[in-house]
Amino acid sequence: MGPLIPQGFVNADLNLFFAFVIGLGFGYVLEQAGFSSSRKLAGVFYGYDFVVLRVFFTAAITAMTGLLFFSYMGWIDYNLLYINPTFLWSSIVGGVIMGFGFILGGFCPGTSLTGAVIGKIDAMVFIVGMFIGIFIFGEFYDVFEPIYTGSPLGNIFVYDSLGMGRDWFAMMLIAVALFAFVATQYIEDRVNKTSDIEKKARPSYWIPSSIILSAGLLLILLPSQPRSSWHETSPEKLLKMMNNGEHLVNIDEVAYSLVNGKDRPVLLVDVRNPEVFNQFSLPGAINIPLEQILDHRYDPILRSSEQKVILYSNSNTLATEAWLIATRAGIKDLNVLSGGLNGFVQTIFNEEHLADTYDLNILQQARFRDKVKNYFLSGKAAPETKSAVTPVIKIVDIEKPAKGGC
Amino acid sequence: MDKIQKPYMNPYLAGFLLGLVMLSAFFVTGRGLGASGAAKSVVITTVGKLASESIADNPFYADFFSEGPGPMKNWLVYLTLGVLAGAFFSGAMSGRLGFKVDKGPRISSETRLIFAAAGGLLFGLGAQFGRGCTSGAALTGMTILSTAGFVTMMAIFGTGYVIAYFFRKLWIS
Repeated sequence: MGPLIPQGFVNADLNLFFAFVIGLGFGYVLEQAGFSSSRKLAGVFYGYDFVVLRVFFTAAITAMTGLLFFSYMGWIDYNLLYINPTFLWSSIVGGVIMGFGFILGGFCPGTSLTGAVIGKIDAMVFIVGMFIGIFIFGEFYDVFEPIYTGSPLGNIFVYDSLGMGRDWFAMMLIAVALFAFVATQYIEDRVNKTSDIEKKARPSYWIPSSIILSAGLLLILLPSQPRSSWHETSPEKLLKMMNNGEHLVNIDEVAYSLVNGKDRPVLLVDVRNPEVFNQFSLPGAINIPLEQILDHRYDPILRSSEQKVILYSNSNTLATEAWLIATRAGIKDLNVLSGGLNGFVQTIFNEEHLADTYDLNILQQARFRDKVKNYFLSGKAAPETKSAVTPVIKIVDIEKPAKGGC
Repeated sequence: MDKIQKPYMNPYLAGFLLGLVMLSAFFVTGRGLGASGAAKSVVITTVGKLASESIADNPFYADFFSEGPGPMKNWLVYLTLGVLAGAFFSGAMSGRLGFKVDKGPRISSETRLIFAAAGGLLFGLGAQFGRGCTSGAALTGMTILSTAGFVTMMAIFGTGYVIAYFFRKLWIS
C-alpha cells in the first residue's frame, strides 16, 4: 500500500499538494506546542521548560512505532522509505555547530519559521542568519567537502550499529523516553519551585504511558513479519484466473517476442535452481529460484510495467507454483511459459521436418520456427553472461541522498 | 499588545499529533519532514539569479540545476509554505499574533537579535553538514531509526547542554 507516491498509487503531480497539506499540520502543531517562542525552546537547556524534549520524543516514538506497525501489517513498504544516510563525521560536526546555533539563536529552522510568521522579530532575524550560513557553506564547499562526504557508512540503522534487534531497540527507546519524561518533570519542578497544589492539578499520564509501553512490548512479542496482506489476491480469484489460463503464454508467441519483440520487451524468468539454470537456460533469461520469488529485491522486476514477465521451468509445474505464490502475494500480470523449457526446445529446435502439406498455416508456422531456430543457432541471441541480478529500485521524486537538505 | 492568549497545547498531545503528521508524511511520500531544505532552495535560487557563472563549477549548487524543475519547485519548499500557513493559522487562533522580540530577562533586544542572527547562521551552516536540521536529520532520522538521526540528535543536544552554562546570561536571570 504505502508509501503512496513512490509506488505510483498517487499521481506524482499531487506530491507538492500533499507536501503543503503535511506542512500545514506540521506548522500548526509546532506553533500550538509553543515552539514559536525562543524563550520556551531554550528552557530545555536550562531546566525551566522541557517542552522541546516532550514534544520531540513523543513525536519520534509515536511515528517510529506507527511505522513499525504499518510495516508489520503490510501497509507500508519499509524498503521504499528514505533512510537518512550516515556520514559519521559530517553528522557530528553538523550537530555540534547546530548545538551552538540552538543556544545562541534560541531556535531551530522549523521553529524559527513558526515564530517568524506570527511576528517574532528574533525568529525573522534567525532566518536571515540561516540564509547566510547556507551561503557560506555553498561558497566554501571546496573546503568543507572532505568532511561532508567523508566516512560514508550508507543508509545504516541504529539498531544494527548497536548490534540489537530492531524491536528491542524500539522498546528501549520508548522506555528511555518515558524515563526522560519523569526525570525532566522532576528537574523542572525543582527549577521552577512548583508548588504541591500545581503538581496535584496536573493530568496523570499513566494511560498514554501504558499504551505506548504495551505497543513496544507488542512489537517484541509479535511473531515474525507476515507478508503484505493489503493487496493480496483472494484464493477464489486465483482459482478463477488459473482456470481461465490467461496467464499461459504459448511457445510461438514467446519465440516471436524474443526475435522481434520491440513494443513491450519480454523478460524471461527462470524459476529453477541456479545450478540447472547455469547449465542451460533460454537466451536473456534471469534466474529467480522458486523459493526466492517473494524476495523484496525482485519486486521491482516482477512488478515492472515496462516488460512482460514470463516465468518458466522445465515443464509447467514449478513455474505455475511460482506464479501462484507471487500472484497470491499481489504481484499482477505475471505469465507462465506453457510447456516450459522442454516444450520450447522440443518445438523450436527438435522440430521434425514437415512432410509436404498444403495447409498454409502449418507451413508458415514451420518456417517461422525454422527462423527462430536459426536465430538462436547463429548466435544472435547468445545468452549474455549470467550474473546475479541486482535490480535498481526506481523511486519517484526522492532526491539523491548526497543532496541532504532537511 | 497584551491580548488574552490561549495556553499552549499539552506537549504530549502535541508530540503525538506531530508523530501522526510524520507518519502520514512517510505513508504518502516515503520521506519524513524537513525545514531547512527550503531555505537552501532560496539561497541557491538567489545565487543562481545573481551569479549564475558560479553555479556550474560548484557541485553543491549545480546538483540542484542538473535535473527536474529547479530548486523552488520541490517537496520541501511546498512543505515549508504549508508550515508557514499552519503556524499562522495556529497563532491567529490562539491570539499570539504580534511583533515582539522574545528574550531572556538580562539582555537588550539588540543583543538578542545579534545572537539570533549568529545562531541562525550557525544552524544554516550546521544543517548542511548534518544533511538536515533538527526536523529533517534528527527527528526524521530517529523516526526511521537511522544511525545518522541519533548521532545528529545527540550532537545537537549534547553540545547544547555542554555550552548552556557559558551562555546562561542570554536566557536566565
